[in-house]
Amino acid sequence: MKLLILTPIVFPILSGLYIRFSDEKKINRILISSAFINFFLTLLCVFLIHDEKLTILEFSDIINLFLKPDVLGKIFAVLVSTLWIFTTFYSIDYMNHEKKLKSYSMFFMMTQGITLSIAFSGNLITLYLFYELLTLVTFPLVIQTGSDRALQIGKKYLIYSFVGATFILFGLILLYSQMGTLEFVPGGIVGNLDNIDESYYLMVYLFLFIGFGVKAALVPFHSWLPAAMVAPTPVSALLHAVAVVKSGIFSLMRMTYYVLGWELIEEIGGNKYTLALVLISILMGSFLAMGRQNLKKRLAYSTISQLGYIMLGLVVFDKSSFTGGVLHMFFHATIKITLFFCVGAIMHYEHKTELDEIQGIGKRMPITMTCFAISSICLIGIPPMNGFVSKWYLAIGGLERGNYIVPIMLLFSALLTAGYLIPIISTAFFRGAPSTEVEIKEPGNYMLIPIVILTAINVIVGIMPNLLIDIIDRASELLF
Amino acid sequence: MTNNFPLINILILMISAFTAPLIKDFKKTSILVLTTSGLLLASTGATLIETIKNGHYILNIGHPDTFLGIQFYISNAEALIAFVFAVIALMTIIYSNSCIKSEIEENRIGLFYTLVNILIASLLGVVYSNDLFNSYVFIEVSTLSACGLIVIKDKKENIKATIKYLVMSSIGSGLVLMAIAYLYSITGHLNMTLAGQVIAINHMNYTNSILIILTLFTVGLGVKSALFPLHGWLPDAHSSAPSPSSALLSSMVIKVYIFMLIKMIFRMFTLEIVKSTVILDVILLLGSCGMIFGSVMAITQKELKRMVAYSSIAQVGYIAFGLGLGSIGGMTIAVYHIIGHALTKSGLFLLSGLMIKKNKSKYIDDLKGIGREMPFALILFTLASFSMVGIPVFPGFISKWYLSLACIDIGRIPLILIILASSLLNLLYYFPIVINGFFGQNNLQGKVYNSKKIEKAKIAPVAVLIVLMTLTGLFSSTILEIISASFI
Repeated sequence: MKLLILTPIVFPILSGLYIRFSDEKKINRILISSAFINFFLTLLCVFLIHDEKLTILEFSDIINLFLKPDVLGKIFAVLVSTLWIFTTFYSIDYMNHEKKLKSYSMFFMMTQGITLSIAFSGNLITLYLFYELLTLVTFPLVIQTGSDRALQIGKKYLIYSFVGATFILFGLILLYSQMGTLEFVPGGIVGNLDNIDESYYLMVYLFLFIGFGVKAALVPFHSWLPAAMVAPTPVSALLHAVAVVKSGIFSLMRMTYYVLGWELIEEIGGNKYTLALVLISILMGSFLAMGRQNLKKRLAYSTISQLGYIMLGLVVFDKSSFTGGVLHMFFHATIKITLFFCVGAIMHYEHKTELDEIQGIGKRMPITMTCFAISSICLIGIPPMNGFVSKWYLAIGGLERGNYIVPIMLLFSALLTAGYLIPIISTAFFRGAPSTEVEIKEPGNYMLIPIVILTAINVIVGIMPNLLIDIIDRASELLF
Repeated sequence: MTNNFPLINILILMISAFTAPLIKDFKKTSILVLTTSGLLLASTGATLIETIKNGHYILNIGHPDTFLGIQFYISNAEALIAFVFAVIALMTIIYSNSCIKSEIEENRIGLFYTLVNILIASLLGVVYSNDLFNSYVFIEVSTLSACGLIVIKDKKENIKATIKYLVMSSIGSGLVLMAIAYLYSITGHLNMTLAGQVIAINHMNYTNSILIILTLFTVGLGVKSALFPLHGWLPDAHSSAPSPSSALLSSMVIKVYIFMLIKMIFRMFTLEIVKSTVILDVILLLGSCGMIFGSVMAITQKELKRMVAYSSIAQVGYIAFGLGLGSIGGMTIAVYHIIGHALTKSGLFLLSGLMIKKNKSKYIDDLKGIGREMPFALILFTLASFSMVGIPVFPGFISKWYLSLACIDIGRIPLILIILASSLLNLLYYFPIVINGFFGQNNLQGKVYNSKKIEKAKIAPVAVLIVLMTLTGLFSSTILEIISASFI
């Protein structure tokens, strides 16, 4: 029974290897079927495994790797497996004529396994191991095109990731030398808050936060993310929406709430510093996004700003903030992946990448651009869309902790979000020559259907957020 | 009977060494050498099991309390190091059986095996010896045979490198000899245990002398183990030698001397006395500089083997760092690193040899796309570089982790930053090779992929080394426990 936890992790890795050594024609079928199978395996895990611990390797205190899915991990795992199905379909169309399809598909599958193992990790060492592996398996995806520029950027990605990992390692060592364990416990492992060495734990907290923050694109450690846009769109979508940055965020959540514990962090005043960084991230991301003409880059900077929202849930310690953060993690994933898919469709079928070039594209690809518009509105957070719900919770959390800068920032930044997304919509629909007859040419079904379904999901979860909130409450009950 | 195994090891190796050149047939020579190292592996294994069970023991040869008595002191650390050396020796010899012909002339193969056997015998001698004069003799023998292993290739650069090595190494030997003489004049003993007893009583009267002796030992042995900034000979020597020689030199030779330093500091001078001098801090400083400098230099290298050689300097830095921390934990992890790195680096050198041969170029730039041609070799290389970079589970990670914990134990947290910086630098030179090897496209035009034809005889010994390396990481807690038993 316990071994069930391992299936959604091992299965994609094995099927990735199988793809590597199988026939080129079969790739698509294997990809689709394994995405679905893995989705069901994940669901099985989520529903059948309760508080069970599966030891992978146990040789000593340090090399003690085990998996232990809890509510937060399950939420993340379901998110990952769901979005992977859509990305698989999309990438089959997108990568149709690419070279090196086999190795791409292999690493694509493997990334899913590694991301799920991050979700299910039971202690920080396990998480750290898979976190490093995640860098290694996503690296080939980033440099998929194989050009010199891609290799350059790949190096940048590696260096940023590993510098981050080094920071994490430093924090881990410091923490381990005091605690002797790094297991995830709701509320933290430090326990007794009297007579602790405050500056010591502050150092631990800041190093861990910055270390994980690199993958979560925390300003000023963000510049790998826009650069990594050189990758094919399905990969960018994955990096941004699901696998990499969300793993960073998820690890931050683990670190904040399950290892150090928010009470400790508040006691030592660590969140004062990190709140400043997070606010800067939100603002910087938005401002930088406005200045970008390249659509993918614009979305990349938008990611940086949106990740800031999620991190608000990690530095303002309130139940509502936490709920808002997790909600936004979920919502941002589905919204951003839709936006990327739309932009990628334009790139793939019309070969247009800049803002100026897409004049009138709304008439040529009406469904795609409508979906883009709807998802944009979701991200801006106009009620009753889902972005509004998560921001509402974040704002409430800020107010309850007496942190008035948070709601102000949220409002201001919503304006900025509109500032960089609305121009894309208006250019697509309203600018350009008042049309002569335009031939409608939507993307192929493999692309279009994921886009439409994801947009529908965005709208539906906005209308009925309580389904999710109830689940998140189960996690937050233990924490607050 | 098992007690005498260490002595028998050395004797067997010596006998086999001098029989090898007498046999004209290459195949028979290799069978002889293989049998010898097989026996060596078995007997070191038996010794290891024995010491783990019964604790350390002393093996007297002749009369230890007289001037020229020989004494071996075998505790867990010695037995373990000897065992690992035997493994590496066996693997290297299997490897060289299949490809040494292409690197050196055929009539020298017998000589090559002679030198290898003498080298291993003398290194084991240094590891086991508990008396200084005997150690000194073995040091000299090992230096000369190491020189022979480099110059056996008979190219201009080899001769140059060897002379450089010989000169610097001789200076080192001279300093060691002076230190031994000085020590003898104070204590009247050459046996480490007996000398240690005298020092323990009299050290207050001889503080300066002890400082001088320690300095002489550190510098002398430091030259031989390529401790920064005394490493000048190493890159030339290790990169020009035939790959099996480089593997032996880099994984075993440079480690032995620093292990001797560890032994002397722990057993003869004892930590307390050494801590009252500055010498540990100096070693710590040199180790840290080596960790950074070796890696930085490795990044700038254009030749694969030179890069791996510079990386050895950084790794010796780690060992010196562990010693310099001046705690039991630090020393334990230093010995652990000797083992972990010996396995990793021998594998890396053998792999570089394979890649260079296949690619017919020693430059890193020409290795782009090598993964198409020899995927299995590059995967092994990747695993070894994972260890160097410090991915969890591999021994590199374990070393860093425990070194850092040792830093925290003695309250010097900033030192951790040096360890981490060095491991990041390692990333900068190992990963480009892996990445360009797997994903680079530049050199693929007009080449025939032979990936179907994996040369098992060459890859298998390397694969064994890499697997053992991984196991060293996995079973680190057991190994550390075994090692720490000799530092009580």
